[in-house]
Amino acid sequence: MSDHTTAVIAPGRKKKRRLSRIVYVILCSLVAAGAIFPLIWLLDFSLAKSNELFSSKILIWPSPPQWHNYYLALTDGKVPQYLTNSLVITSVSVGLVVVLAVMMSYAFIRMRWRLSRVFLNLVLLGIMIPIHATLLPNFLTFHSLNLTDSPLALIIPYVAFGLPQATFIMSGFMASIPEAVEESALIDGCGIFRIVFKMVFPLMKPAIITVIITSYISIWNEFIMAATYLTSDTYRTLPFSVYNFAGMYRSNYAAQFAVMVLAALPSLIVYIILNKHITKGIVAGAVKG
Amino acid sequence: MDRMKRNKLIIFLLVSPGLIFFFAAVLFPILKSVYYGMTDWKGIGDFNLVGFDNFVKVLTDDKVFRESLLHAATLAVLTVIVQHPIALFFAIIIDKIGGRRETFFRAVFFIPCVISIVVISKMWVGIYNAEYGLLNTVLEFMRLDALKQDWLGNFHIALYSVVFVIMWVGFGYAFLIYYSGIKGVPEELYEAGLIDGAGGWQRFRHITLPLIKPVIWVNVTLAIVSSLKQMEPIYLMTNGGPGSTTQFVANYLYIQAFNAKKYGYANAISVVFVVVCLIVTVLLQRVFRDRERGEAS
Repeated sequence: MSDHTTAVIAPGRKKKRRLSRIVYVILCSLVAAGAIFPLIWLLDFSLAKSNELFSSKILIWPSPPQWHNYYLALTDGKVPQYLTNSLVITSVSVGLVVVLAVMMSYAFIRMRWRLSRVFLNLVLLGIMIPIHATLLPNFLTFHSLNLTDSPLALIIPYVAFGLPQATFIMSGFMASIPEAVEESALIDGCGIFRIVFKMVFPLMKPAIITVIITSYISIWNEFIMAATYLTSDTYRTLPFSVYNFAGMYRSNYAAQFAVMVLAALPSLIVYIILNKHITKGIVAGAVKG
Repeated sequence: MDRMKRNKLIIFLLVSPGLIFFFAAVLFPILKSVYYGMTDWKGIGDFNLVGFDNFVKVLTDDKVFRESLLHAATLAVLTVIVQHPIALFFAIIIDKIGGRRETFFRAVFFIPCVISIVVISKMWVGIYNAEYGLLNTVLEFMRLDALKQDWLGNFHIALYSVVFVIMWVGFGYAFLIYYSGIKGVPEELYEAGLIDGAGGWQRFRHITLPLIKPVIWVNVTLAIVSSLKQMEPIYLMTNGGPGSTTQFVANYLYIQAFNAKKYGYANAISVVFVVVCLIVTVLLQRVFRDRERGEAS
């Protein structure tokens, strides 16, 4: 093909391209609406009176907005308490996952020992194991250890189930960075732990960010373990508030919607702020996992 | 230096904290399940060892367990043949939009994935509600009153209502993985195709598709494995009902333990569940690895 022919067909093609781009934007807008309209509906009726829900309108104009629903959510729904629990439990778990996964990966990739492969594969096997299969035995164990009224009943399994994926990402990344820097530090007489925490950690930053993002999202939103292992209310996490409140205010739908909005809000805000990093982290985590 | 790298104590100190968590909350419980799976324990009181009776019953004589696997298969098939083509289609066209609108749409598509599954599930219970739900209101608005339903209460429809929610939530995720694959296709190849006079479909068929095959395998594997492991949306929307029409394995074993108090039997289901997940994952990896090898040679 010569330049001549492309020059001839170009104008018509350009026009066609612009037209198809408009079609693409319209199609994407439809899907975008499908993704967020249910949430808008939820927000809308969270400000309504419960009986207004039964109107035949798709969206209503709440007049006046029932802020009382949110008051109920914050007080009886105990959203602030659950939110604090979620923040503490998730942060501690994710922190432990990151530190322990880096340590393990260092031992699996850099240190020389006979069972290294065996243990690495054993940990990676954990990626395939469904958490649900451990619900009953873990419940029994935590029950007999009297942990059902302690944040440990969540932190222990969250860390345990976060580690396989994290180790997979970390060890893969560690294998790809050159060993030379660490070697010279070793010759200079630095201890292994100083090397791991002072030198390897900064080098691992991209992998660490991926692990933080993927495990933060999954632990923050985790529900079934939180609902199973804790018998007392003190350390329950945010997803549970929705479930709990739905039981308390069985017929007050609008107030239930308000709790749902509040429960969705923190992750939504963080997502909007950190959108680019989160997207990148999810892709890295999924494609490597 | 080499001696340092072989230092057993250091290795032990590096590995043991992580392994302790992993053994305590992942491997040990499974062994515990194997043991309890061989008993007739009811949750309290004494129990007897019954050998492999429970396991045999799960595998050969449990209709609900079989149905649960069938529902997982239905979900997996529908995800792969309905959700994935749509996700791939939008990954391709969004890439052609470009600029800020591309970033905007990409961000919006993923929103349902960052919200807690409890909120999502309870929200959809509201949308499907027969009396005030959004779906019936919309149908009424469009004069399609005949289609109004109790979406989660109807024996014939409930499974598809649940499946739809799971596909709706997962759409952003599937989309994002395809999108990353599309972004990896070099622009020059399309231009070359364009110059050679290849149409849109031909460019997709001969340029895009072969190059994103690895991403498709990743996505399909994730879809199948996660279909098998579904629990929360079911637990929160239907708890397996009406009847057992929306039952999934994880939810079924939960009910068997905590509602029916058949702890022994539920543990046997747990063990079979783990084995099924391992077999399916390993098989999928095998199949896709062989395929890639076959194509490479």
